[in-house]
Amino acid sequence: MVAKGRIVWVSGPAVRADGMSSAKMYETVEVGESKLIGEVIRLTGDVAFIQVYETTSGLKPGEPVVGTGQPLSVTLGPGIIGQIYDGIQRPLSEMAKKSGDFIGRGIETTPIDLKKKYKFVPTVKKGDNITGGSILGTVDETPLLTHSILVPPNHRGGMISNMIGEGEYDLEQVLAETQKDGGYHTELKMYHKWPVRHARPYTERYDPTVPLVTGQRIIDTYFPIAKGGTGAIPGGFGTGKTVTLHQIAKWADSKVVVYIGCGERGNEMTEVLVEFPHLLDPHSGRPLMERTVLVANTSNMPVAAREASIYTGVTIAEYYRDMGLDTVLVADSTSRWAEALREMSGRLEEMPAEEGYPSYLASRLAEFYERAGRVRSLGLPERSGSVTLIGAVSPSGADFTEPVTTHTIRFIKTFWALDTRLAYSRHYPSINWMQSYSGYLEDVAKWWKENVSSEWFELRAESYQILQREDTLKEIVRLLGPEALPDEEKLILEVARMIKIGILQQNSFDKVDTYCSPQKQVKLVKLMVRFYKEALKALREGTPLADIRAMPVISSLLKAKFEIPDEEVQRLDGLENGMIEQFKKLQNKEEVKVVV
Amino acid sequence: MSESAAIEYTKVAEIKGPLMIIDGITKASFDELVEIETSDSDRRLGRVLEVGHGKAVVQVFEGTTGLAISGTKAKFLGKTMAMPVSPELLGRVFDGLGRPNDGLPDPIAEKFLDVNGEPMNPERREYPTSFIQTGVSVIDGMLTLVRGQKLPIFSGSGMPHNVLAAQIARQATVVGTKEDFAVVFAAIGVQYSEAQYFKRSLEESGALRRSVLFLNLADDPAIERIITPRVALTVAEYLAFDLGMHVLAILTDMTNYAEALREISAAREEVPGRKGYPGYLYTDLANNYERAGRIRGKNGSVTQVPILSMPADDITHPIPDLTGYITEGQIVLGRDLFRKGVYPPVNVLMSLSRLMKDGVGEGKTRSDHMEVGNQLYDAYSRAQEVRALAEIVGRSGLTGVDLKYLDAGDMFESHFLKQGKDENRGLEETLSRTWDVLSTLPEGELTKIKEKHVRQYYKETK
Amino acid sequence: MSSSSPLERTIDKVLSQKESELISKIDSAYQESLRNLDSSKSKLNSEYLAIIENARKQAENLKRQIVGSSRLSARNNQLILIEDSVRTVFEMVRKRLSSLHKEPDYEKLMKQALLNAFKEMGKNDLSIECNKTDYSLVRKVADSINKEMGTKMVVANKSIDILGGIRVTSSDGTLSYDDSIDSRIERLKPLIRKNIVQVLRGERGRESWSQKVE
Repeated sequence: MVAKGRIVWVSGPAVRADGMSSAKMYETVEVGESKLIGEVIRLTGDVAFIQVYETTSGLKPGEPVVGTGQPLSVTLGPGIIGQIYDGIQRPLSEMAKKSGDFIGRGIETTPIDLKKKYKFVPTVKKGDNITGGSILGTVDETPLLTHSILVPPNHRGGMISNMIGEGEYDLEQVLAETQKDGGYHTELKMYHKWPVRHARPYTERYDPTVPLVTGQRIIDTYFPIAKGGTGAIPGGFGTGKTVTLHQIAKWADSKVVVYIGCGERGNEMTEVLVEFPHLLDPHSGRPLMERTVLVANTSNMPVAAREASIYTGVTIAEYYRDMGLDTVLVADSTSRWAEALREMSGRLEEMPAEEGYPSYLASRLAEFYERAGRVRSLGLPERSGSVTLIGAVSPSGADFTEPVTTHTIRFIKTFWALDTRLAYSRHYPSINWMQSYSGYLEDVAKWWKENVSSEWFELRAESYQILQREDTLKEIVRLLGPEALPDEEKLILEVARMIKIGILQQNSFDKVDTYCSPQKQVKLVKLMVRFYKEALKALREGTPLADIRAMPVISSLLKAKFEIPDEEVQRLDGLENGMIEQFKKLQNKEEVKVVV
Repeated sequence: MSESAAIEYTKVAEIKGPLMIIDGITKASFDELVEIETSDSDRRLGRVLEVGHGKAVVQVFEGTTGLAISGTKAKFLGKTMAMPVSPELLGRVFDGLGRPNDGLPDPIAEKFLDVNGEPMNPERREYPTSFIQTGVSVIDGMLTLVRGQKLPIFSGSGMPHNVLAAQIARQATVVGTKEDFAVVFAAIGVQYSEAQYFKRSLEESGALRRSVLFLNLADDPAIERIITPRVALTVAEYLAFDLGMHVLAILTDMTNYAEALREISAAREEVPGRKGYPGYLYTDLANNYERAGRIRGKNGSVTQVPILSMPADDITHPIPDLTGYITEGQIVLGRDLFRKGVYPPVNVLMSLSRLMKDGVGEGKTRSDHMEVGNQLYDAYSRAQEVRALAEIVGRSGLTGVDLKYLDAGDMFESHFLKQGKDENRGLEETLSRTWDVLSTLPEGELTKIKEKHVRQYYKETK
Repeated sequence: MSSSSPLERTIDKVLSQKESELISKIDSAYQESLRNLDSSKSKLNSEYLAIIENARKQAENLKRQIVGSSRLSARNNQLILIEDSVRTVFEMVRKRLSSLHKEPDYEKLMKQALLNAFKEMGKNDLSIECNKTDYSLVRKVADSINKEMGTKMVVANKSIDILGGIRVTSSDGTLSYDDSIDSRIERLKPLIRKNIVQVLRGERGRESWSQKVE
């Protein structure tokens, strides 16, 4: 029986209704005459506390509240990719058709087009036994993506008593019927629903070992994240969180990207919508939009739906993972999600913990990041997929000791710390190389060795050491000036500067520099390390530092990242040879001087 | 006659701070507009913040001073607060709640718009890409403003943010069109003289007749400030999306707005976030700032320049901090430059325009624009480091290149940043000045600029 | 001067040296003054141009300012004139409405008003006020409703100064409800004003109007 109650109290996104004794926790309800969408978040006697996902202006006590009997769910099937949804999976394009340029209220939409026809190719036949999570067949959702039609994970299994043949069908078509013990009869379609607050089940978890290649040098080479891993990117405003996340969403070698704009700027979502259809995936050459789905609940959209958007997004990512695909979920920003939790908690008059956040903030964050992983999927055939979770954190006042940042750090393994000072000097991405870390370094080393270069691990370590030494020397320079250092240490400063400009800094808006292949990354690092070694040798053999500093090759080394595109990566070998030549000339000059 | 009569309630249960709690409510809705009549027939406006169990919590815009438990009547008007709009609003002056303040009659409304607006569907937004020339070198060259952008000025007490905003309002042009900007100006708790300065500046440039002013001055009711930016932005949206105009909305000072919000939150005894500001300050500010942009298939645009003074010049204070997370960059005024007498005293290193990359370059401004902007940042940042170093070790402890940076830094401030309050520089001049500054450095230092641009624009010293 | 002593020769030498020095000095001074003159000429010229340019700009600004404000004040005068006519129309409307009670439907209207008051206020005990003319009619209607619905509507003896319609207060004094003709006019004023102005402007529409503002 569905609950039918009446509103007794309204304050912002929070509504109390009585007569709701048959309502369930986290049930979706329709609130008021205009049927706003809400969710039950507390039950006391027959009073339900409801968070409303739409603006409540004009709502008044006495208006009806009607339960739907369903928890907040997403509809999963072909047609999700390329969409832009609000926090509760309503397609924004549909909403625009119904309410124009501004978002109206009480709009009913279907999350995916149930009328659209896809060419279905069955992979099971009548008489086969299936279990929850098994693949029934495939459709091409986009030219980039073969979508496996999954039996809902909570299906009790059975024998296929009826199976449709290959052909063009819409989503409402029954593809298969199953029978079990004579009693359990089900009809399976191209789509099913899944409650967002429940992680989709899997058979087994694997350790992540393959890096998520993002084409961003400081990430891939210095602080890599593995497929199925977790990462956080905290930073004050203007440090480039969003740009970095956009870069990951654009260039990561993942089959599906779920981008959640949670309480962020409207124009940023528009930017993705405008840009992605024109950008080509470097791995397949197809438009990026063919593998991307957006969940947009911008900062001015109702705050409760912001809380839901994270769950909507991660459930979609898990769904594609279950097909055996690698998916990446990028959430910008988890702080706004935490703030939405805080606001609802405040209206529930719960006892606040630090800075007004509810005491369950940490457990909610843990639950979220726990939904990442590389897993063996349920059902047949055997396959594995991954969900990589990357969350931006927007600490107030760029202070990393605030609750959302400190709690997030506990549950993630890759930490990219954005630095306001680097941003002020336009060092982008402003990821601080001394503060950041990756827990996947050892895990992914094997992949680099086998697929890119046997030297990767050593080169990375050698170049990183130069940066570390520079960091300690900087303190001395700050007190005494650079002239107080011996030449060999001055050289460290010089090469560190070259690594910063030539490798760590990367221009997202430059056609060439925006993506850097792993091969090019290794070669660039090698160039810098080689330069350091040659320079040190020359210095020890008597070449003045000033001559080394004046070498014309330095400028070419620093500009190689954007002057030499990936396709011409062998030109870097030429550059290396040129560099060695110049060093030779330097030394000859010295010898000439000595003779004279 | 469509609208039904409204019920008046007289049972006031409690008055505290800016709030009035009314009992015996049978019919009231969340966010509803309330007309309050005091015992001596003074009328005020309010808004329902919370309703239920026979009670309504009403926020009184003009403050509760002089209200009494008995003899006060509250009429619930059955609608949310709305602003009458029509083309005639241009050239008019209103108070902080959108009522005429210029001695002229109420505007004849073409329609009434809810002052809260509605969130723009991100799918319907047009991504901002049209360069606005402000004639101010540091903005055009390094912090480019784009039509539909929201770019705040972070200032401090006594600094010339209003002079800069007025200069932008006077000089702003969209290159390649003859369209003028309409200006919507909202004074939020500022001094009379500041509002007057702005008004005069518009008047002198003949722009007053394409401007709409909303004035809530320092001695006007504080709670009214919650509505002032909302009515102003409602009108801005109307001018932009109904009438197709390009609108520049200037809101000054958002710090006063946030303080009014804090006052209400405190009166409601809500759990505070940082520095006593409510936890929803971010969302609330976003509801104002996000009312900027463009819409696909529509001609107009709303470009927002909110101004806020940073308490104690602290950029990590919640108001600038949360603003920076919402807006598309920020122009930060620096106390040091201000003391040095540099106008405009823009601290470029802390400033940023996120949309610059989309508004400049080949076909929009000039192909080297973005690169020289980046290189200037880099150079000035180096110069600042060297300056700090020179303080300690003296000039003699510096290398030759460092000395060049020192000179470049000085030239940046005197030749590029500094300009007159009425000086309107063209884009070519601005870019030429960037190269003047960069050409004081050796060519090899220009690592952010493509070779071809260096060859084309670098000025060899004779 | 062959007999000139070494001393004299030295003096001569010094003198001639001085002389050439002097000449060159004079020459350079002359040259410099020429240069100065030249530069001050060009300086004067550029200053002259700057002054002219400045004045031109100022004149331009002044012109814009004058044109702008005069157009604006013309528009504003127009707004005031319109408002005056609107006020006149309203006076006439009021006069017309004060004889509303003569309309045949007035009793029906009054009944509806009372029923609305009862419905909106949700109370049985109501005190009703009206003007002198309507008193007997309101009593009659109230009595019939009391009988029909079991309400307790009492019409106050003391009449109030309104054009027509009713004002209702709950007997406990916590609620009141104003459905007088006066308050209706007040409520609908913005809409009525819009209509009046449209008529006044001869339905010219807003395009022509906004052009005038420009």
